[in-house]
Amino acid sequence: MAGRSLRAHLLRMLLPPIAAALALGALVSYFPTIEPATHAYDQALVDIGLAVGMHVRVMQTEYRFELPAAVEQVLRTDRFDKIYYRVMSPAGLEIAGDPGLPAPPGDAVAHNAIYNGDKVRVVSVQSPCGRSTCTVLVGETMVKRERLARELLLQSIFPELFIAIATLLIVWFGVKRGLQPLARLSDEIKSRSAGDLRPIDAAGAPEETRPLVGALNGLLTEVSAASRKQQRFLADAAHQLRTPLAGLRAHAELALAQPLPDASRAQVEQVHQATIRTARLANQLLALARAEPGARSITSLVDLKSLVEGEADAWVHQALARDIDLGFELAPAPVEGDAFLLREALANLVHNALEYSARGARVTVRTGSGERGAFLEVEDDGPGIPSAERPRVLERFYRVPGTPGTGSGLGLAIVREIVASHGAALAINEGMGARGCRVGITFPHG
Amino acid sequence: MRLLIVEDDAPLASGLQRILEAEGHAVDVTPRGEEAVLAASQEKFDLVILDIGLPQMDGFEVLRRLRAGAGPMPVLVLTARDAVDDRVRGLDLGADDYMVKPFAMPELTARVRALLRRSQAHGGPRIAHGPLQLDTVARRAFLRNEPLELAAREWAVLEVLLARVEKIVSKEAIIQAVAGWGDDLSPNAIEVYVSRLRSKLEPAGIRIRTVRGFGYMLEEFK
Repeated sequence: MAGRSLRAHLLRMLLPPIAAALALGALVSYFPTIEPATHAYDQALVDIGLAVGMHVRVMQTEYRFELPAAVEQVLRTDRFDKIYYRVMSPAGLEIAGDPGLPAPPGDAVAHNAIYNGDKVRVVSVQSPCGRSTCTVLVGETMVKRERLARELLLQSIFPELFIAIATLLIVWFGVKRGLQPLARLSDEIKSRSAGDLRPIDAAGAPEETRPLVGALNGLLTEVSAASRKQQRFLADAAHQLRTPLAGLRAHAELALAQPLPDASRAQVEQVHQATIRTARLANQLLALARAEPGARSITSLVDLKSLVEGEADAWVHQALARDIDLGFELAPAPVEGDAFLLREALANLVHNALEYSARGARVTVRTGSGERGAFLEVEDDGPGIPSAERPRVLERFYRVPGTPGTGSGLGLAIVREIVASHGAALAINEGMGARGCRVGITFPHG
Repeated sequence: MRLLIVEDDAPLASGLQRILEAEGHAVDVTPRGEEAVLAASQEKFDLVILDIGLPQMDGFEVLRRLRAGAGPMPVLVLTARDAVDDRVRGLDLGADDYMVKPFAMPELTARVRALLRRSQAHGGPRIAHGPLQLDTVARRAFLRNEPLELAAREWAVLEVLLARVEKIVSKEAIIQAVAGWGDDLSPNAIEVYVSRLRSKLEPAGIRIRTVRGFGYMLEEFK
């Protein structure tokens, strides 16, 4: 998934809001728990304050503070934190303890402050002394409070984090699952042959992909219309050429039937031959246009045997004119295909065999059904095609060097296109006794 | 014979006209289908050569009207298209033969001769081929005006070949045509009849050519 992955895009879009929700969720569950915990620690300090307060004695106007060292040690002992205290008379005079421990401002009973460079929590306790009350401040560094806060925060973040990761995983795989109809669509398009421009079936597609399928079908319709238009133009052009060529040929043949000076006869002969070649070329271009991928072909069940039988008469006359023995070995060979194109492929193979064989040659046309499927084959005992040239003769306009005659070099290229458009296989081999040429087309079963 | 050419391409029409006139026919030419239908209703033609791709009334329509009105003269259709190929090929519109443009003039004149011969044969009980004459009613054959002895199946085979002079006829087609004579016929049997026919006809210059693996062709008498 190079470039713009829909998944990555979705994740990028989802990450910031998920992170924000996570933070908010953590805070929302953090504050309600940190409050009671802080309160409990404060209460422990108040208890220390009350215990310290009990050690203040009032002697007439004098306040005395007597705390046995052992008790003080107990009070001041904590696993994690340092504990401070400060006792003040009702008038605010220093009595005992750690001087300078900051008192909460105003009426507040607890606050956070800095003492001896540490962050401290200080609570203020009113303790009875004589008929009045003294103030006891108890401070404590924040080590265990901060630890508690961290633990609480982590405890609230873990489930949030878990939910977030689960969400991202669900998005990652959910997107893949959700995009499966698109994957199926692309598989369907990929599995098509290049010439298949039929609309895609939208019936099975989910609602969300319908607009895409619709747009694709619109495009397919346009492309196939354009392709049909081009095919029709080529076909019309080839057809339009035929009538003037027929007139040209008629007059050339008329002229040749009359007594002519030798020089003129040779020239008319040239015109006549050129006319025949041009007509053949027009036919070949027409066939090529119709065999190309994207051309709309008319498929039906065609028996190659009947196809040959339908054309045999014309070929036999051409062969007789060249003194070639054209024979047939025909067995039923049903194939699914375009009759016009198959006839054209056959005509090209037979034309080549007749064209490039010498007088007295033997050419055989075969059809039948073998183990590998229906086949047709044209074999001659002419000069053959050297094996090095065999792949090249299938290229358009290629002619084997030194070949006599004036062919266009399109014949076998057309055969190849037609064979390809029928999913058939083309093979060029030697004929019987390693002489001549045998061109076969095999149509796979089904 | 009187022929009508319906072709809107002037050079082709004039070429066809001159070639067929050189064969000894009287030839009329029109570029328009409507005129052809009118002419055929007023005068008798022995054969019509009809282009399918005419302006306005096309060849198919002309053919339909000719068949509806003017009667059974043979029609040879010319076409430049193969999109209509199969319609023309089937000849189910009442055409007797078709040619795809451009075609060789000798082939055209041969087809015209064959069509005329066939229609004349339909008209009368006698078929002629060079020095050979068949009286289809009396079922008697004459070679150089001498009676020719033919077995029943030899006669049947000869009749099939004569109906399609210069055209190759498959052995299957011959068997089908002769099958009316009863029991099963093998392709080998056909070979025997053809070989007997050859020995009787070849001395008079009438040749039956074998098309290897396909069938036979009665060659044009020269």
